[in-house]
Amino acid sequence: MILDTIIKKTLDRPKTTLLIYAIISILFLTQFVKIKVDTDPENMLSKEDPARVAHREFKGEFALHDAIVVGVVDDANELGVFTPKTLHNISNISEEILKIEGIIAKDLVSPITTDDIRGGGGSLIIEPLLKKGAVSSEEALKMRDSALANPILKDMLISADGKAIAIAVPIKEKDQSYRISREIQAITDKYKGSEEYHITGLPVAEDTFGVEMFKQMAISAPLAGLIIFLLMYYFFRSFTLIIAPMIVAMVSIVWTMGLLIGSGYTLHIMSSMIPIFLMPIAVVDSIHILSEFYDEYQKTGDRRITFAKVMHNLMTPMFYTSVTSAVGFASLALTPIPPVKVFGLHVAFGIMSAWFLTITLIPAFVMLVPERLMKNFGSSGDGSTSNMIKIQEMVGHFATKRSKWVISLTLLVVAISSYGISLTIVNDNPVYWFEKQHRIRIADKVLNSHFGGTYMSYLVLDGDEKDAMKSPAMMHYIEDLQSHIDSIKMVGKTTSLVDVIKKVGFELRDRAEGSDKIPDSSDAIAQYLFLYEMSGDPDDLYHLVDPEYKKANIWVHLKKGDNMYMKEVINSVASYIKTNPLPEGINTKWAGLTYINVVWQEKMVAGMLKALIGSFVMVLFIMTFLFRSLLFGLISMVPLTVTIAFIYGVVGFSGKFYDMPVAVLSSLTLGLSVDFAIHLVQRARQILAEEKDWGRTIDKLFDEPVRAIVRNAVVIAVGFTPLFVAPLMPYKTVGLFMALIMAVSGAITLIVIPSIMTLLKGVMKT
Amino acid sequence: MRKPILLLLLILATPSLSLALTADEIIDKSNLAYYYAANDGKARAKMYIKDSRGRERYREMTILRKDIKDGGKQNFYIYFHEPADVSKMVFMVWKQAEGDDDRWLYLPAIDLVKRIATSDKRSSFAGGVFTYEDVSGRRTGDDTHTLLRDEKFAGKDAYVIKNVPKDAALVEFDHYISWIDKETFLPIKGEYYNDKGKLYRTIEVEKTAVIDGYPTSIKGVGKNLDTGLTTTIEFVDVKYNVGLKEKIFQERYLRKAPREVEK
Repeated sequence: MILDTIIKKTLDRPKTTLLIYAIISILFLTQFVKIKVDTDPENMLSKEDPARVAHREFKGEFALHDAIVVGVVDDANELGVFTPKTLHNISNISEEILKIEGIIAKDLVSPITTDDIRGGGGSLIIEPLLKKGAVSSEEALKMRDSALANPILKDMLISADGKAIAIAVPIKEKDQSYRISREIQAITDKYKGSEEYHITGLPVAEDTFGVEMFKQMAISAPLAGLIIFLLMYYFFRSFTLIIAPMIVAMVSIVWTMGLLIGSGYTLHIMSSMIPIFLMPIAVVDSIHILSEFYDEYQKTGDRRITFAKVMHNLMTPMFYTSVTSAVGFASLALTPIPPVKVFGLHVAFGIMSAWFLTITLIPAFVMLVPERLMKNFGSSGDGSTSNMIKIQEMVGHFATKRSKWVISLTLLVVAISSYGISLTIVNDNPVYWFEKQHRIRIADKVLNSHFGGTYMSYLVLDGDEKDAMKSPAMMHYIEDLQSHIDSIKMVGKTTSLVDVIKKVGFELRDRAEGSDKIPDSSDAIAQYLFLYEMSGDPDDLYHLVDPEYKKANIWVHLKKGDNMYMKEVINSVASYIKTNPLPEGINTKWAGLTYINVVWQEKMVAGMLKALIGSFVMVLFIMTFLFRSLLFGLISMVPLTVTIAFIYGVVGFSGKFYDMPVAVLSSLTLGLSVDFAIHLVQRARQILAEEKDWGRTIDKLFDEPVRAIVRNAVVIAVGFTPLFVAPLMPYKTVGLFMALIMAVSGAITLIVIPSIMTLLKGVMKT
Repeated sequence: MRKPILLLLLILATPSLSLALTADEIIDKSNLAYYYAANDGKARAKMYIKDSRGRERYREMTILRKDIKDGGKQNFYIYFHEPADVSKMVFMVWKQAEGDDDRWLYLPAIDLVKRIATSDKRSSFAGGVFTYEDVSGRRTGDDTHTLLRDEKFAGKDAYVIKNVPKDAALVEFDHYISWIDKETFLPIKGEYYNDKGKLYRTIEVEKTAVIDGYPTSIKGVGKNLDTGLTTTIEFVDVKYNVGLKEKIFQERYLRKAPREVEK
């Protein structure tokens, strides 16, 4: 076999082997300079996805931009922000912001740029709400009253309680947002009085996200390396030898990240987790090799002979465990979420690289270790052995003596878990990715408690015919639809062209009673709009309607960005439209990031199921092939099935949302936890073939083979724990669940498989 | 009197005496030639507005103008024909020599005349690139003018003048450069720069004609380089000294348009 030849070669020429790997690694390392970070949540959908195409199209049509939001809040002052001092600050800040390079000045939303519509004294004034420069206390209050009487500005620019004002700074390029937000910060610091300034918004969140992503890679991944290193030292007591698996891990990470970056993929929340995933997985095969080597070396005292034997024993299980893990990750390619696909395929590549490196580099390395350093290796057992043996024996006896009990309990757990799964709430909210105390979470809370809602989605009514939106029937439809949307949970505000029309009419008639309504003729509507175009800033209007009046855009503000609330809005609007048909020739489409999030979440849920089923079938096939037995194939699938049911049952019961990180875990669990079963079943059959007695088989099985499995489980479980200290919630979730999954699936494997085998020992053929 | 002395020095120092106009004089002459030709005027304007996404709007209107004082007070009566749903809408401006202009708008659909109070003359006229000031003229005293150079532009000898606003807070530009035809004193081109020195808006006169003896710009194009908005305005049926009466620039004539607005 070609692999044997390669392994022989590496044993013959260890230095050359290491040199070749060093060169390859350097080549991959050179790719690192091309690194590009991507924190754009839109990229959860592919660029060509219809929802994203429509979203992009509408963003262009209605000049909707990503904006940095500056929330000015003064809760302590009775007059809120409507004091001459604070308004003057806001005016100065706005003027300075207008001068920042890279912002879209014409679409700045601020009291000094956004038009208010005012009547009185026979005239109509459409001009910015706040005049530049200083204002008197009287003017400040007048301005507040005027803003609060304007349904377009209220809850958007000005909070209903008068305690807060928002400034939205649209930016041209998202990659400039860090610099721009720093400049804004410097400006607000300069003018700050008793009022508070919260700088937030999607671009800021994305930037912060990028920074925290690097923090995770710079802290958690190396920490995982350190912890694994220490664990291995605890297992093997030789720094020299455990350097080899660490090199395997580092090299496979370098190759994988080099491949990722070199192929032009971006560093994303998903791909940033590649190193921390590969770190423990990459050393697992080495642990098995070293475990065996550790036991065998003292008997022979010859490295070459020992390796020949160890490799002979482990070649098959190592290959299969690596392939199944890789399949589990690669199955993520079946999801329609590009970053998840990229993550899955690259980790799969990394796992196979680690496997190949393990079988070639570890022997080469061990051959190069000076003889004197080999002397102590394997001579003293690890400290925990005696305790561990006792526990292992207990587990083994429990599993066999109480097998019916174990199986019943397992079935019960599965049944209860299934109920738990039925309680699952599918939901995600990118703001929850930040920790609760994070300034972005705080700003989110403060702003959403004052304003109509910072989570935007847009319901576009598309008439495809010029002036379609000017008809009174259309206007009335929008008005009714809007009041329906306003009644949906979490919707804090809606804004449409109808609000402008009604406001213009109301002010034109000097706020006469009953004049706050849609005019009866389309000419009147057209003339109101023309008046607005003539008198105000038409760009303000074109966020709500296109200049040809073919399409209208209803702004829907949500107070919370949870997908479940957005989904409720979408469903509610759909059923409303069903019972209240749209005017002839009009259709609706959603846009906005809050909507996009729902789209990719739905794709993800469906995609994950596909990935899970796909990898289940693949792994079952591989297991059946490995054991040449469908029965053993099925048995080895039991622990992971129970684990997945249990974990998702826990998720369901706990009320934790089924979000992106939780979803991704299912396929990974499958690929990783089947490894334990492979080792266990393989060894059980081997021993049973030798011993011909189930009781003795269990005793032998629960000695060294189980110890290797426990070490394997511990390394992976503990290897993920440094994600707890990562600053972003998805990392913490993954860390917690991976540790939990490894522990649970390790335990289930060790208890349930022997129980099943005990029950089935009559029908089992070895 | 320092100014005449300076002027004298300037004249003495300039080889070609006949061309020795100051920047202020050039701008004054240009203002009169472009905005105050004859005592009154009438034209049908066709305005094509196109944004960066290719979305088009069309407006057609009749503009009546009567000068009360050359270089000073002036009345405009703008009667819309197109789009059809705003037909008969009238926009009237009394341009004042000082202070805010007076503006009225008539909405025929609800038969309502409203004064439109706005102090911002830099806002868009009818949704296009042109501002109110572009349409009715910017007061020459609002800027400080400097003659930069003489230059041949679009086949014409032109003065190139830099205009810096005296009150920067009132305008969106930092300065603008005008090219003024030496022969007709009609502006040929304007370039508007922001405070970072970046050109963001241009206005160009593409066609001129002599009508009733008055050099007249009959086609102009405005471009906003930031937003990609372009606006083309064409003047047809231009007539001067049509004998417009001052009384038609009164509120009651908004409801009942004078016959001059029809073709």
